[in-house]
Amino acid sequence: MPVPWEALIPFGLLTVMFGAAGTLYGGAQRLQNQGKLPRYGIDRWDEMMMERDRRLTGHFRGQSTEPKAPQEFATNSVWRQSSLDTR
Amino acid sequence: MSGRTYVDNAPVPSDVPHVDEVGVTSAPLKSAAFFIGKFCQAYNDDFMQCKADARDPAACLKEGRRVTRCATELINKLRENCQQEWDKHWDCLEQRNQEFYRCRKAESALNACVLEKLGIKKEIPNSKIQVHTIAKPVFKDDTPKWDRP
Repeated sequence: MPVPWEALIPFGLLTVMFGAAGTLYGGAQRLQNQGKLPRYGIDRWDEMMMERDRRLTGHFRGQSTEPKAPQEFATNSVWRQSSLDTR
Repeated sequence: MSGRTYVDNAPVPSDVPHVDEVGVTSAPLKSAAFFIGKFCQAYNDDFMQCKADARDPAACLKEGRRVTRCATELINKLRENCQQEWDKHWDCLEQRNQEFYRCRKAESALNACVLEKLGIKKEIPNSKIQVHTIAKPVFKDDTPKWDRP
């Protein structure tokens, strides 16, 4: 009796599509984080440190062990304006 | 985050002595944190005491310069003596969400190197449990709630 292999096509499609989507998503996350997994559970301290890393190295996941900060570091800190809440 | 950004390009006033800012980023700094805490404790405590007394940033610049210089000194010592172990540890931390408990192997190599070459032992301050010394921690912290420091 012939095996109904056509019935397995949808399962194969689902597997391939979920796998492709997951792989692409993971790849996109790694691209944004210089090949590393993204940080999670970040609190305000971590946000501040990552902003400092961005000021020191140009990327928020960039790391360096230089004892002396580059020249730009002295003046590249950014204040952000938020709109007034006039309630 | 929305809103306009503002950058102040004015240099530091000339009457303030110049000290190079520490250029170490978050992961190597976290890796070296306990050593900095021990090595520079006096200066750090001075700065924190000054801050507790006066919230004005201009009041604690001198203590802040001392903190920066001390940290830079230890960073230079680490680079001279234990660069490879340090690099391995902070690279491990960067791969694992900067969580200490996931990088014990690299950490014990770094602790051994620093103890041997610089004479600084990693100790968790104000804690009865030194969790980094426990070989197989079943729970991260299994002291009863009423006994925790």
